[in-house]
Amino acid sequence: MTIPSELLLKIDEAISHYPVSKRSASLPLLHLWQEHFGYISDEATVWIARKLELQPINILELVTFYPMFRRAPAGKRHIRVCRTLSCSMAGSYELRDAIAKAGGIDLKKWEAGYYGDEQGDDEHSHGLTGHHVHNPGHGSPVAISADGQYSIEFVECLASCGSAPVAMVDDLFKENVKLSDAADLLHLQRSDATLPVVKAPHPREKRIVFKNIDTEGWTNDIDCYLRDGGYEELKKAFGMKPEEIVNEVKASGLRGRGGAGFPCGVKWGFIRPGGPKPTYLICNADESEPGTFKDRYILHQDPHQLLEGMIISCFAVGAKLAYIYIRGEFPEGAQILEKALAEARAHGFLGSNILGSGFDCEIYIHRGAGAYICGEETGLIESLEGKRAYPRIKPPYFPAVLGLYQCPTIVNNVETLCDVKHIVRMGGAEYAKLGKPNNTGTRILCVSGDVQKPGYYEVEVGSVTMGELIYDICGGLKEGRTLKAVIPGGSSAKVLRAGEKFKLKDKELALEDIPMDFDTLAACGSMAGSGGVMVMDDTRDMVATLNNLNEFYAHESCGQCTPCREGSLWMKKITDRMLDGGGVARDPAVLKNVADNIAGKTICAFGEACSWPTQSFLAKFPEEFNARSTKAVPPPMPPEYTSEELSKEALIPTISSPRDTGRDVMAPAATK
Amino acid sequence: MLNVQIDGVWLQFPKGTRLIEACSQAQKFIPRYCYHPKLTAPGNCRMCLIELGMPKMGPDRKPVVGPDGKPEIGWIPRPQISCAQDVAEGMAVRTDSPMVQECRQGVMEFLLINHPLDCPICDQAGECRLQEFSVEYGNSSSRFLERKVKKPKNIELGPRVTLDAERCVLCSRCIRFMKEVANDDVLGFVDRGSFSTIACHPERVLDSNYSLNTVDICPVGALTSSDFRFKMRVWFLKETKTIDVNDGLGSNITVGSRENVIYRITPRENNDVNGVWLPDSHRLNFKYVGASNRFKLPQIKAQPVDWRTAIAVAAEILKAHSSESIAMIASARMTNEELFVARLLAHQLNIAPERLDVLPRTGEPDGILIPADRNSNTTGAKLLGVSASEPGSHLPGIAQGVRSGAIKVLICFEDATKCGMTAEELSKIALIVIDILPNATSALASVLLPSSAWVEKRGSLININGRLQRINRAVQPPDQARDDWEILRDLLTALGGTNSLNSIEEVFKLMAGEHAEFAGLSLSKIGDLGVPLSLTPATATLQEAAN
Repeated sequence: MTIPSELLLKIDEAISHYPVSKRSASLPLLHLWQEHFGYISDEATVWIARKLELQPINILELVTFYPMFRRAPAGKRHIRVCRTLSCSMAGSYELRDAIAKAGGIDLKKWEAGYYGDEQGDDEHSHGLTGHHVHNPGHGSPVAISADGQYSIEFVECLASCGSAPVAMVDDLFKENVKLSDAADLLHLQRSDATLPVVKAPHPREKRIVFKNIDTEGWTNDIDCYLRDGGYEELKKAFGMKPEEIVNEVKASGLRGRGGAGFPCGVKWGFIRPGGPKPTYLICNADESEPGTFKDRYILHQDPHQLLEGMIISCFAVGAKLAYIYIRGEFPEGAQILEKALAEARAHGFLGSNILGSGFDCEIYIHRGAGAYICGEETGLIESLEGKRAYPRIKPPYFPAVLGLYQCPTIVNNVETLCDVKHIVRMGGAEYAKLGKPNNTGTRILCVSGDVQKPGYYEVEVGSVTMGELIYDICGGLKEGRTLKAVIPGGSSAKVLRAGEKFKLKDKELALEDIPMDFDTLAACGSMAGSGGVMVMDDTRDMVATLNNLNEFYAHESCGQCTPCREGSLWMKKITDRMLDGGGVARDPAVLKNVADNIAGKTICAFGEACSWPTQSFLAKFPEEFNARSTKAVPPPMPPEYTSEELSKEALIPTISSPRDTGRDVMAPAATK
Repeated sequence: MLNVQIDGVWLQFPKGTRLIEACSQAQKFIPRYCYHPKLTAPGNCRMCLIELGMPKMGPDRKPVVGPDGKPEIGWIPRPQISCAQDVAEGMAVRTDSPMVQECRQGVMEFLLINHPLDCPICDQAGECRLQEFSVEYGNSSSRFLERKVKKPKNIELGPRVTLDAERCVLCSRCIRFMKEVANDDVLGFVDRGSFSTIACHPERVLDSNYSLNTVDICPVGALTSSDFRFKMRVWFLKETKTIDVNDGLGSNITVGSRENVIYRITPRENNDVNGVWLPDSHRLNFKYVGASNRFKLPQIKAQPVDWRTAIAVAAEILKAHSSESIAMIASARMTNEELFVARLLAHQLNIAPERLDVLPRTGEPDGILIPADRNSNTTGAKLLGVSASEPGSHLPGIAQGVRSGAIKVLICFEDATKCGMTAEELSKIALIVIDILPNATSALASVLLPSSAWVEKRGSLININGRLQRINRAVQPPDQARDDWEILRDLLTALGGTNSLNSIEEVFKLMAGEHAEFAGLSLSKIGDLGVPLSLTPATATLQEAAN
């Protein structure tokens, strides 16, 4: 195994970004390795482990946890098609089949091999030859064409639900893929992520964070940003005391835009200035809540806005080192941010003694690798420390006390950090006048699903109702369809049913009358969450919709704690069976009880996230679930072994030592 | 002390008490899989969920006091884990409320849906927390209609540990043990979600000398001992509390035996000695006890004889020689009682101190449990005057005596060929050998007296830190083999010495009368966990050397 010197240079550069712990460089090194060699062999894990003074298992744990890493080569062009709800509603299943067909990929064969079906082709069964694994539902295999030219993989949400269906060809991104364009996708040369778009905002919008998005002549370089008055707020911030900035943010009433809606100023207030340990700031750019696609545009089109907001925030909380944790599926976003960071350094906005203020600050990019759980802040911190993204128990590991490297850490969403810049510009009190009391500022609502004009719309919080959003801003439903359901705040938010009446303290609201703010949506039994509004019309089957989400959560459960690990897959298997016609009468009740047994019993909020859809779909659409649960007895399962296999005992394999049979054999159960 | 309310009763606990431990102390056992008192708490199994409350705070930031004069409790609506936090002042716990019962029921169901339910062929059956908690907290029937997740089975993680991944509850105890205690970060998780599996990297194996501890702490049948698996149902095992004799630490152990056959050895908790751990090398070193070539009958010149004849001939040999021509090589693995009677014999024969010693055994300490001293009772041998002050320092002199012909009789508890003498030299003198298995010296024995292995006898040992501990009999010695102290006592009697020693208790009593360190003690007073002795400075230096 020879490692080219330029790769070694990149590796050493990546390691230098983590002055506190080399282990943090695990993910960057794995990315570099896979970019160069195409996959991560067992020797690679040993090499990387040695380089970082770790044990090989520490690296293998990561390769098998993060879906973007492969233990076997893919095709020369690797295509990722989004499978999750909005894309699936827009036809991504058909799209995947069409792309596979165009690329000469036999999906059935690969799936059979992946699931260890006896019909599977041993040669392509991921090294689990003879290993009778039958694990339907365990993500999707990387299917490769016979000539090795193309490979295709179904992946979970690519965070562009407003332009569904979407796909990635290697690092290039393609939105609104038409079924008829499937063959062209194989030869994609230009990415849509960096394509200049000009689109006027809707009159109901109030653009602050998205002011420059999709505007004529706007580019993501620093010159353009400076022409627009960029980094002026940074200068203004340096004229203030850090605690003054914290107070402005407190006064602004800004609530976190990541999903939980926690007041940002209160979070910052948990940091005690002048403590013995350093403080870190992390920007959570791991946008991956299905239905949410706002950060994508900030990262690609206006990176300096984020950097300015971050530097101000670092100054306010006293952080001299910050990381941007960007999801792995935004490779171009990471490059754009790298370029923006270099520009900011060159202009003296980063580094030591920024603008003569005496304040030092450095920001680095850290790329994720396809794990949704990294959006959870303690999971993100673990991932940034170079570990599996297992969320931490709270208490005692509250990030503001024991965060990154066990030091006080602030984790904020991209949009939240951008808002900080505008709070400094406008003043907290002025900002608080936007929106409604306790629901201040603007929000970027991301609308996807069955509306005429899906997309992102920045509005004052609570200034539009659900009905106005769907019918006025998004142009209503598609021709001849009626509204059936809305998921108002990302896929984890509880679904709301059209025609339902929501009893509030002082009034009763119809779905269309709900103002899109934190408190009212919470009072209606759902949440504003991450701002991802998913609209479903009367053609949608609610069991199939829930099944799609269940598959997402079963795939994304980190597997650390029992209820979510076992329950998320169980729920998916039940809805699978319902869709296959095998639902039994007690299924809805069991399904609900399984969800109840997960929510509130897990380490992190993923437990709620994966059980709320099940709980709410069952509660709001019982007739659809009951209609699919009519069997008196469960249908028989196909036998695990055929009678032939059973009569020839030698054919039924158990795995003995994986080390007996040669060098190229997998670790137990590890998939490539 | 902190006031904590457990199921309505206010109790006091010292600061730093883990909540789950506080509940246990209050006789409110909380089921757990991932929590282990010697390891970090990841809080991942969710079995120890309880209802937790804290005192309600008034506007003055002081606890609101109820009509009973006790603080009023504000209960947290979500269940909390009890394994990862310490008790706090005014904390309140409900360990058996409907909410807690529901949580446990839910977690038990989740743990079992993908479990193979193969108890009839599982070695863990009988000591399995899944079985136990399922009976106590689970459901009697399954609601799971789907196909179970398939995972690898019968995986040899290393030379001594076998994994069945389908039985695993992913508590990560084994991973944490290897990382935190064994200092060999070799285990980890691969894959994720419901498909997560314990694994080694393909280039590594679980071959640490502490690997079998993962089997001990595995709460289910996922990790089993390759040596023990399929050998014996655990409920048939007779458990004998005794002490490991493979080194000077004297780890506390439990010997599992059935019908006079030993099946396994597991560590027994003693936080002053070995904690709850035991090296693999020590726990597997018992096979020789049941070996077919054990000495079963006394022999004279390799011919089987009865005990009376053997003792009489040995006594004749000793009487026929002057005390200057007799030497004794005892063993630092003998019990205090044996060493004491050996010393009486040496006294009776008037053997000079320089012709009396033990064979030292040392090795590199492993930094975890195994010390440099690989003899189990060097301290006792020194204390009772059988060993030279520097153990083994008399051996060259004895060897020289054998070589020069000055020594004509050697009483051997060790293989003398390992004490600086050749078989050729030994063949020229009279050898009285007391041992359990054949070796180069026993082959030359004039009189061979078959004795008992450490699991076949009672007695006491003093470890390198001066702790007096008790070994117990798990199995009977083979055929006519006898306790060493009885053999020595009979020799002593045949040579005209005392015959008042009729039980090991009497030996201890006599020993305690002569050695102040044992004053006021008896074998029964030593108890299961041993007692620290206050030793003289002479033996104290030995402790340091041994450490």
